[in-house]
Amino acid sequence: MNSPMDTAEDSPQRLAKKPKVHNNKPTDIPMEHVSDSKREILTLFTNYRNTLDAHYDQRERVIKCSRDITALSKKIVFSLLRITQVTNPESVFRDAEKQHAQVLDLFRKISVELQGSNSLKYNRQATPGIQEYIEAIGLWTFLQDGKLISKEQVLERLSVGAGPLVSVTDEDYILGISDLPGEVNRYCINAIGKGDREAVKKCLAFLRLMKEGVNLLLCGGYVRDPDKKVAVLDSSLEKTERAFYSMSIRESEMSARSVSMAV
Amino acid sequence: MDVQVFVDLQDRLDQESTLREDIKSAITELNKTCRLASAKLAKAHSVPKSQTKEVTDAIKPQFETLRQNIGTLSNLIQPVTFYKYHDMWSNAIQSACSLVVFAIYLDDARLATPGDIQAYLSCRVNTENTDITEFVITLEEYLNAIVSLFNELSRLAVNSVIVNDIQRPQEISTFASDLYAGFQLLNLKNDNLRRRFDSIKYDIKKIEEVQYDLRVRGLIS
Repeated sequence: MNSPMDTAEDSPQRLAKKPKVHNNKPTDIPMEHVSDSKREILTLFTNYRNTLDAHYDQRERVIKCSRDITALSKKIVFSLLRITQVTNPESVFRDAEKQHAQVLDLFRKISVELQGSNSLKYNRQATPGIQEYIEAIGLWTFLQDGKLISKEQVLERLSVGAGPLVSVTDEDYILGISDLPGEVNRYCINAIGKGDREAVKKCLAFLRLMKEGVNLLLCGGYVRDPDKKVAVLDSSLEKTERAFYSMSIRESEMSARSVSMAV
Repeated sequence: MDVQVFVDLQDRLDQESTLREDIKSAITELNKTCRLASAKLAKAHSVPKSQTKEVTDAIKPQFETLRQNIGTLSNLIQPVTFYKYHDMWSNAIQSACSLVVFAIYLDDARLATPGDIQAYLSCRVNTENTDITEFVITLEEYLNAIVSLFNELSRLAVNSVIVNDIQRPQEISTFASDLYAGFQLLNLKNDNLRRRFDSIKYDIKKIEEVQYDLRVRGLIS
């Protein structure tokens, strides 16, 4: 059934169908010339089409909104990473807060599509945005408190009034925080540039915790293709350790020199 | 900082994997019944039309078992987490549905409706795009089961000739093209259903070839 011929034959057809015209409305079928059994089939399938269309449209809306959430969350990450460039960190958080309000608007929009059982029905489409959001506010929490954001904190951030706008699954959370090391590493490199030893220490402790914890979960077989995430996590940790090592060497070199110069 | 967060997560995921194991074993049972039923139902290909009733009657006990299997599976699932595990049993449910679809075609030469599926499997087909509050068979699963019918029909057209029933391919052809017309009403996306829909034309072609062979020899008018 899946011969190469299959695809070769289908692709031109697919191209030809691209401009989707809804010209196959039930009224367009000349029902008077068809047999009873055919009419019955066509009536059934017209209903199925309406259901499938509604489903595909809803899925499309989730994909679009998720993509917007991803884009805005990335902007928050970039805003937060500017923290090493400013003297007053509060201004960075203020900017991020403004962007956060915009993300919440998007979550309000997507939450309409993700009520009840639909939350998991469209999770595959919604999860990239949710993960990126968790990464952004995870970095935020790390910069503010030096701690790993908990799932409860994520839900709290997503809450407007009664409860969270969307539900966050354990997978969403794990995949969201497993992207954190990359960002923390970026912050760490910036901090080294500024010679902020405390910040670098904070990063290293965090990354080691993440390696211990996330590796445990990712390798537990609960997450789909964890290899990439593990590789990124390991490389982030290694990069940070190398950078910290060079910084330490340079510092001891400098102090040794200043001692010898003093002598 | 402590690793408690991860330990808690691990606990939750461990509980979940216990549920997954239970679902898996329920699906194994379901698949077993499906295989047995489909082996029995395949006999319909080797008998004349007059005897197909015996074949479909013979798998009545398997439908009873299928109802129980699906009941066991559905008891494991909370409606709100239905879609989380849905992929696990989708194929098995599709096979179960395709058995009903084929059996009903053999009995009445018509398309099984969602109502028929419910009558045979005691499980509702969700034909609306709405929130669900119970274990359901999805519309995609039902439609996929119908696609499988085309495959059976093309075999049946060939095998009818083997058992000397040269009128039947004509009936099969009319039914298959009516059903195909139904499928063509759907605006399918590039997903699994679309790929399977694209394969229908090969089955239609096979049925048409049988008709051609009969007609060119003057065996049917």
